[in-house]
Amino acid sequence: MEMRLFWSTCPQCKKAFVVAWELRNAGVKLICPFCDHRYLPDESAAIDERH
Amino acid sequence: MSQSESTRRTAAGSSGPKSLSTYLDQIRDNPAEFRTVSRAVNPMNFEVTALLKHLDLRGEYPTVQFNNPLDMHGKPSKFPIVTNLWATRERCAEACDVPRSEAGGQLGVRFAEFAARKIKPEVVSSDNAPVHANVLQGKQADMWTLPAVRHFEMDLGGVLTMGLTARAPGENFYNTTFVKTFPETGYRGGLTIHSAHMSRMLRLWEKSGQRFPVINVLGHHPAFWIGTLNSTPWGDDEYATAGGFLHEPVRLAPSVTWGKDFLVPADAEIIIEGEIGPGSRSVVDPFGEISGQYQPQQFAPLMEVTAITYRNGALFQDIFSGHREHMLMASVPREGSIYNHLKEKLGNVVAVHLPFSGCARFTVYISIRNGGDGQAKQAGIQALAHVPNLHVAVIVDEDIDVFNEEQVLWAVNTYVDPNRDIDHIKNVRPPSDPRGLGSDRLIIDATRPTHIPFPTRLRVPPEAMERVRPEEWLDSAKKG
Repeated sequence: MEMRLFWSTCPQCKKAFVVAWELRNAGVKLICPFCDHRYLPDESAAIDERH
Repeated sequence: MSQSESTRRTAAGSSGPKSLSTYLDQIRDNPAEFRTVSRAVNPMNFEVTALLKHLDLRGEYPTVQFNNPLDMHGKPSKFPIVTNLWATRERCAEACDVPRSEAGGQLGVRFAEFAARKIKPEVVSSDNAPVHANVLQGKQADMWTLPAVRHFEMDLGGVLTMGLTARAPGENFYNTTFVKTFPETGYRGGLTIHSAHMSRMLRLWEKSGQRFPVINVLGHHPAFWIGTLNSTPWGDDEYATAGGFLHEPVRLAPSVTWGKDFLVPADAEIIIEGEIGPGSRSVVDPFGEISGQYQPQQFAPLMEVTAITYRNGALFQDIFSGHREHMLMASVPREGSIYNHLKEKLGNVVAVHLPFSGCARFTVYISIRNGGDGQAKQAGIQALAHVPNLHVAVIVDEDIDVFNEEQVLWAVNTYVDPNRDIDHIKNVRPPSDPRGLGSDRLIIDATRPTHIPFPTRLRVPPEAMERVRPEEWLDSAKKG
C-alpha cells in the first residue's frame, strides 16, 4: 500500500507541485510554493492523480 | 544589524552551562570544522542551502555560521544562522565528549549508554535563564523577524527546522521531537507533527478540549539535541535523557506563557512559545525531507505564537535537511539502540550501521556471529520491530564491515539466493509518507550459507601478508 498523492499544476505560474490526497476533495485551497497563488484543486491547470 | 564574529564568542569562553555557543567555541578555530560567511545573505532565496550544497558536492562538511542573514521580512536579522552542525560522526562524538577516535561503530553504543543514564534537570529562576534576557509578546512576538531558511526550490517557504517540546495533559514528562514550523504569518504557523509520542500528545490535548501548549526551541548545544533524538518509551522525560548526553543537568526555567506549568530550556538560544487550538489546522509543505524527496502539501496543526524569548547574542539554528547532518543526528543514536536491543535478544550482534544510501533511516546493515540456524532472519525481524521506520534489514557475517558498503553489497551479490534469503513482509505498518517501501519490509540474509557446501572468500595467507611489507618491497617511485 502506498500513501496516495497527486501533482497539481498551478493555474497562475503553470508550475507543478506534489500534494497529499487528503487535500484533493477537502474544499481547501492549495498554496502554490512557486508563486503563492491560492486555488482549489479543481482549478489546477493540470492534475496527475493516477493511482 | 551587522556584528563581528568576535562579539559572538561567549563571554566566559567554554565555562558555565553548556550551550550552542560553548560548543562552537570548541570548533571555531578549525577551518575544516567551522566556517563563517559575513556577507549579507537571503536565506529565503536559497543562498544558505546553495552554499551548503556546494560544500557537500566538494566533500566538505563544516558547520557554517552566516553572520548577516535577512529575516522573513527581507530586513537584516539580529540572529546569525548556524547550520550543518552534525554533518560528521566525529563532530557528533565530540559534542557528547566522546573522543573522535571512537566515532565509528562504537559511537552508537556509547550514545545508548548516555541515553540510559538519565540526569534530572535543574530548575532555575527566569532571572537566571539566559533565554529570558529578551522577551517579546503581542505584536512584538513576530516569527518573521527570524532568518528562516527556504531550503529547496519546491519548499512552500521559509521553515524553522528545529525541535518542538511538549508534554501530555496532566503529565510531567517532556518530549522533544524535530518538527518543521511553517510561519504563514509572524504570529501563527503550521507544525508538521509526525512522531508517535507527539502525535499522541496532540490527540490527548484535542480530546481534552484544551489548547495544546508547545515550545519551538531554535538552538541549543548539539548534545541536547542528540539526547532528545533517542527512541525513548512514553513517559520518559527527554530533558533528563538530554542531560545524560550533556553530562550535566539541563537547566530549565518557567515559561513566559504558562509559568511553572511548562518548563523551558534556560540555556537555549531562541524559544517560541505557542498554543494549538483543538482541531486548528493549516496547509503546509512541500518540503525537502530526509528521503531526499519532497513531502507533499498537507494539513498540519496550527500554532499561535504567545511569546518569543532569546538570549543576548542569540544564534538561530537550522538543519540542512535531506543531507548528512539531518541523517547523522538521529542515525547514530538509533544504531546504538538497535545494537543494544539485538544484544539483549540474540547476543551475537557485532556491529550496526544505518548507511547514507538508505537516508540513514530506512536501511540497516547488521553483522552477527554464527548466522546459521535462522539467526540472521531473527536479527532482521528484531531490528525491524524495534525501529518502525526501518524498511530493509541486511544481515552479514562478522567478517564484513557494515561501515563499508562495498563489502556489504559484495555479500548480497555472492551469498544471497533470492528464493531462500530474501523475505518480503507485507502490510506491516500504515505508511506515513510515500517514500521507500511504504508499508512493506524486507529482510535480506546475506550471511554465508551454511546449510550446503559453499565456497569461502578469497584470502592471501596471513603469514604472507605479514611477511611482505610494501614499504620495504616496492622499488622507489624514481626507479619504477
